[in-house]
Amino acid sequence: MLEAVNVTKEFGPNRALNGVSLRVEAGEIYCLLGANGAGKTTLINLFLNFHQPTSGSVWINGRDVASAPIDTKRDVAYIPEQVMLYGMLTGLENLDYFAALATGQRQPKDHLVALLAEAGLPADAVDRRVSNYSKGMRQKVGIAIALAKNARALLLDEPTSGLDPSAANEFSQLLVRAQERGVAILTTTHDLFHAKQTGTRVGIMKRGNLMSELDSADVSHNDLEALYLQHMRD
Amino acid sequence: MSRRGTLALVVRQEWRMLIADRSLLLVLGLLVALITYGFANGLAEVRTRDAMVESVLQAEAKAGRSQLERFDRIASGQELPSPFNNPANPAIAGNGSGRQAVLPSAALAPIAIGQSDMMPNSYRIGTRSKVEFMYDSEIESPWNLLSGHFDLSFVIVFLLPLLIFALTFNLLSSERESGTERMLLSQPLGLGTLALGKLIPRAAPLLAVAALLPILLLLAFRSEAWGAGWLLFGWAALVLAYGLFWFALAFAINTLRRSSSANALMLIAGWTILVLVMPVMLNLLVERLHPAPSRTELSIQTRAIQADNLRRYDDLFSGDYRYIDEPESLQAKDGKIEIPARTMASFLARRDMDKRVDGLLDGFDQSLAGQQAAADRLSFLSPAVLAYEGLTVLAGTDGQRYLTFRQDVSQFHDGWRARFEPLIMNGVAITRPDLENLPRWQAPPHDRRGAARALGWYVAVMALCALVAGVLGCWRLRRYTVA
Ligand SMILES: Nc1ncnc2c1ncn2[C@@H]1O[C@H](COP(=O)(O)OP(=O)(O)OP(=O)(O)O)[C@@H](O)[C@H]1O
Ligand SMILES: [Mg+2]
Repeated sequence: MLEAVNVTKEFGPNRALNGVSLRVEAGEIYCLLGANGAGKTTLINLFLNFHQPTSGSVWINGRDVASAPIDTKRDVAYIPEQVMLYGMLTGLENLDYFAALATGQRQPKDHLVALLAEAGLPADAVDRRVSNYSKGMRQKVGIAIALAKNARALLLDEPTSGLDPSAANEFSQLLVRAQERGVAILTTTHDLFHAKQTGTRVGIMKRGNLMSELDSADVSHNDLEALYLQHMRD
Repeated sequence: MSRRGTLALVVRQEWRMLIADRSLLLVLGLLVALITYGFANGLAEVRTRDAMVESVLQAEAKAGRSQLERFDRIASGQELPSPFNNPANPAIAGNGSGRQAVLPSAALAPIAIGQSDMMPNSYRIGTRSKVEFMYDSEIESPWNLLSGHFDLSFVIVFLLPLLIFALTFNLLSSERESGTERMLLSQPLGLGTLALGKLIPRAAPLLAVAALLPILLLLAFRSEAWGAGWLLFGWAALVLAYGLFWFALAFAINTLRRSSSANALMLIAGWTILVLVMPVMLNLLVERLHPAPSRTELSIQTRAIQADNLRRYDDLFSGDYRYIDEPESLQAKDGKIEIPARTMASFLARRDMDKRVDGLLDGFDQSLAGQQAAADRLSFLSPAVLAYEGLTVLAGTDGQRYLTFRQDVSQFHDGWRARFEPLIMNGVAITRPDLENLPRWQAPPHDRRGAARALGWYVAVMALCALVAGVLGCWRLRRYTVA
């Protein structure tokens, strides 16, 4: 579903990705781990055509992102680390717009309100201006936008940053439900526990390289932590 | 989903945001106020000009009537002629019944004051020398953009771009700076569609007001405008093309991915160069290319010729004292009349003056014509100058129209003097029918066809500039990366 083939990305002299290849199949939750600056966000950006790879290619649902940058976006929903919205509009109005862009048509209001509830936004916040939202509340609108798109793949860049523990937990359950529907999920995180809990596969990145990949079912939480720390030390 | 459907979504959203933050309303309100004020100024100026032309024509009619009355009184013996007021004397009638050559304002004159406040709208034609009535004042450079008039052309050429900047300087940069760019571009939405969808709800209302409100005002307050026909479309096309150029430029600058403040700075820099600096530079260039002959030279020569004439016609100037004792000798007899020496001398001195400075005056005219021609060509270097040119052409206040008027006046003056010269030289008396049927000045109509042709070019070139800016922007978009 999501595939990076030998991708290298350079920003001037700085190589952010160095020949990274990975695949995320339908029904998989792939968790990318790595220190700050390891290249996780850069990889996600390539899938969205926010940047173009210096070499190699990225594929969504069998299509090269470089040759079909707009069409490939129909198949992925994306939640950035910081969901930024139009502060002058309400959460509902923001969702209305982005959901319409995502799906190609405006959605009925009931449906949108239900999505916001599913994402965990308090009902009394729905009609308030987003400029008064907390970071976590904006994040929840971002989740609702992704839900509205009902895409076959999810690209998540630390999606739970800013969510309180119970909201983060609910989000994990959302992910699992999506996975069960056959959605392919690529997510970055700094939370080893969460990666082990919800992820089906885990990749560890370091300075632009994908150091190792493993099935989370095959390792214990302690082993994962030891492996991660060992990579960070080298 | 279709691209058009996505575009409609973006347009709807942008419209909503523009309404919510009141920026569009503010800019539109300002534009309406500026247009109304500029139009009122232009209209007041035109009415003053029209009233002046009207009073000049009334003065001409009054002078004509009083000449006829005096002619009748002298003919019937009620009044004794004096050497200086007998209309039967061609040297007197040539000046006393002189015509007013006027340039009436065009139908759409309130659009631009243009050259109308620097070039005369009327000349009194008689047997005087051209030096006395056509070259008696400095003639200014072809562009008058910085003249400080707050008319419609000023609002469109100078201020409309600034209002456009207010709505567009952060067209794409605001999305980047607020972080919504990532949210937008993770959806199946092309950058081109996004930019277009943001431009439409800004450009459409602004340009609609800029193009249509002045037409409504013209139709409401200037009845002549109803007859202007498609020239009104010319106005709308010019304003649209000019406005689109600035929108396209703002779009192109937004594709450079700089900050909103950097964009604003670049736009103001572009405006300063195209609107403020270029006209001044082009004026200097045009004057350098076609310098006017020295005015001091002209006045030195004129004075020398005057002195020369005084000597040459000395005996004529000192004659005539006998008429005080025998005024009857001034009466016309059998179609002949004795031309008093002084009036003869005065005519001859002025005729000779024109003959002798002819070359110098030609120099002035050629310099003016050369400046105008160079200006017409150079104006293509700046859309602002082009727009200003186009607006003055529409208003009939462009340099070319005033130059043509001067040429017509000069010709009429030549013909007028040529008609009187043989009568004066041969002492032929003016009859009453002669006096009644002296040729009249035919005011030249505004050359609308010529205006149309010029305007067509201007609009085409401006549209091309807009297209170039737009294409450059689109080309840059292909390398646009999301922050
Ligand atoms: N637009 C950019 N221009 C230049 N360099 C960039 C750009 N984006 C990322 N980089 C560089 O690429 C490298 C990888 O950054 P990236 O944001 O992908 O790291 P990350 O793994 O997401 O880190 P974090 O855990 O802090 O989010 C860093 O060295 C960063 O400085
Ligand atoms: Mg990151």
